[in-house]
Amino acid sequence: MSKVQSSRRWFWLSSISFSLVLLPLLLAIGAFSSYLDQAQWSSYVTDTYTWRVVWFSWWQASLSTIISLSASVLVARALARRQYFMGRWLLLRCFSVALVVPSIIAVFGIILLHGKYGYFNQLWQWLGGQPHSYVYGLTGILLAHVFFNLPLATRIVLQRLDAINGETWRLSSQLGMTSMDLWCHIEWPHIKGVLPQLAALVFALCFTSFAIVMTLGGGPKATTIEVAIFQAIRFDFDIAKAVYLSLLQVVFCGSILWVGLRLGRPIDMFASLETSVRNMRPDLKPIFGIVSDAVVLLLATLLVLLPLLAVVVAGLNTAWAEVLLDVRLWSAFSNSLWVALASASLSLLMAAGLLLAQRHWRERYTSAALAVEWMGSVILVVPPLVLATGLFIGLSPHVNVFAINLYIVVLVNALMGLPYMLRVLSVAYLQIGRDYDRLCSSLGVQGWHRLRYVEWPILRKPIGLALALVAAMSAGDLGVVALFGSPDIQTLPLLMYQRLGSYQSDAAGVTAVVLLGLCLAIFVVLERLLGGPSDKL
Amino acid sequence: MINFKQVSCCLGEQQFYYDLQVPLGQVVAIMGASGSGKSTLLNLLAGFIQPQTSSAQIFLGDLRIDQFEPAQRPVTSLFQEHNLFAHMSVFNNLALGIRPSLKLTIEEKSQVENALDQVGLKGLGSRLPKQLSGGQRQRVALGRALVRRKPLLLLDEPFSALDPALRQEMATLVKRLSRQQKLTVLLVTHEPKDALELAETVVFIADGRVHWQGSSNDFLQQKDHHIQAYLGQSC
Repeated sequence: MSKVQSSRRWFWLSSISFSLVLLPLLLAIGAFSSYLDQAQWSSYVTDTYTWRVVWFSWWQASLSTIISLSASVLVARALARRQYFMGRWLLLRCFSVALVVPSIIAVFGIILLHGKYGYFNQLWQWLGGQPHSYVYGLTGILLAHVFFNLPLATRIVLQRLDAINGETWRLSSQLGMTSMDLWCHIEWPHIKGVLPQLAALVFALCFTSFAIVMTLGGGPKATTIEVAIFQAIRFDFDIAKAVYLSLLQVVFCGSILWVGLRLGRPIDMFASLETSVRNMRPDLKPIFGIVSDAVVLLLATLLVLLPLLAVVVAGLNTAWAEVLLDVRLWSAFSNSLWVALASASLSLLMAAGLLLAQRHWRERYTSAALAVEWMGSVILVVPPLVLATGLFIGLSPHVNVFAINLYIVVLVNALMGLPYMLRVLSVAYLQIGRDYDRLCSSLGVQGWHRLRYVEWPILRKPIGLALALVAAMSAGDLGVVALFGSPDIQTLPLLMYQRLGSYQSDAAGVTAVVLLGLCLAIFVVLERLLGGPSDKL
Repeated sequence: MINFKQVSCCLGEQQFYYDLQVPLGQVVAIMGASGSGKSTLLNLLAGFIQPQTSSAQIFLGDLRIDQFEPAQRPVTSLFQEHNLFAHMSVFNNLALGIRPSLKLTIEEKSQVENALDQVGLKGLGSRLPKQLSGGQRQRVALGRALVRRKPLLLLDEPFSALDPALRQEMATLVKRLSRQQKLTVLLVTHEPKDALELAETVVFIADGRVHWQGSSNDFLQQKDHHIQAYLGQSC
């Protein structure tokens, strides 16, 4: 095979990826710009409701970030200090599962625990108190955001703590450092570098969070921009307002991402929760440390475990036969499965094209390679609901958007998964280029043979992990599908949301268990099947 | 006398057993192939690893030290790398050796300055480790050993990351300081040259045991096949 042929081939694949990423974006931009003259700017700018929404978006994201990060430092430190403890396995499992739990499931679990008739209120009443309704609004949103972001942040902080070398620990024990000295002189200097970046990531995730705020926000007091866009389209039919809010959201997200990039190099979101065993700290014996670590680790485990347990218990009711025999459930099930697999494959296709281009251009056209890298993060600047709004406006004059809703959901979900895909794949993929390009061309290993004998064995693990993650996230996503949802075409998260809204708690419980099972099964099967046996997550 | 009595431990698959006496006030070179257990010996002495049998005893003179925490033992360790805290100034890196809280009295501060002078780094106290060369960094660590005033200095291949010239310079410094301060130095090294130049005594370790012990001048003349294989000479 000649060099020219092979280079033309990669360019075809890359072009497909470029179009898949850029066309929806261009369509959305075009749609927005056609509405710009209709927007009543002055009335939006003076609208106090809009400003309350903006303020609440920043406020809840800031609080979520502060709580998640502070707690993650405590949990990571306790995990680093106690390498063996009862329940360690359970904690690690819970934190891994939290990566793929659909937000609607976490919300359901949190309502079951903290709702007016939830377990905590029942306990409180049994102790003689009056039941409180505290879960709807800021409290519930914070609980759900910490549920998702604490495990994520803990991974990253723990990875930094684990990178402290053995000599440093030996030195500290020889110098007789106390726990406080260790914190000031060793641990804090090691983790503080990663915190601004981590804060930007968690902040961005909470700022654009949709399903959680929509379900737990409960009213105009606790609404974010992302949810306000949805309401403008679905409830007010005020498309110009949705466009205005979307632009606002793009400006905010762009700034957050820009700040995040200025703060340092990207962080590994899928760092292992395992720690190396060489750690020899001098502060393991004091009883205060043992007790405080035990409390922290127990609380962290319960934070994730209890909502999931509550969901499973809620699924064990008498309605299961009725729900499982319902044809709507299985149609939603198959739609969700299809969305999951299609989104993950499409996302992989996009990522492959982008990475190919990046690898080919990285030496001669550095800025082109950088532009391609940026392309993968488009969805972070233009959040899913904004993009979906653009597609909704742009496509509705030409086609019935409700009839093709699942295709749009797949496209947006694939774009949502793309940053994750690239994070997981890019290191290994670009490494192959650096390490083996010359060797392969000198041996004449190219095309199919190179794919079969060089790339696949090295990449199958990251590919398995990335596909599993994106598929599981897409199966549980309740964002875009809510915007385009119609009674005819359902997905499991949407069905779950409707049952939650109409107080069919037994049916919701069974649906939740089915959805949770689907997401976990998709994750485990894809990761094991493609990646081979692994114990990373 | 440093005295190891039936000290055994097990790391992974490998067994180690030490029964050993070395005189105080000397420089002793610990030699042997990679993985033979040289560093393990120092780690046991510093308390980074615990012996596994209850009969094990480690004495420093009359003082039994194997029950002590690392910070209570009269030793200072110097590793091949990572001896300094990267975010801390040279001065503070030394100050840690006196007080981990870094709150020093005026007198203690002058001790630090004095130690910097002795290792030839006068005036560099405000630098960060990354602003120093590899040799200078090792000298900072040596300066900390001085302010700690512990009678036993454990060096775990402290020169192997350095160029030949720096190596020579460091070796001379270690020799001078150990004489001045009357230190006992245990030096793990790969270089027979270091052993000859610095050490009076050589302890040769093979397969986790003390295989040979004697004066450094005799070491190179040994006909023992373990030692010859290590030195790369054929029998």
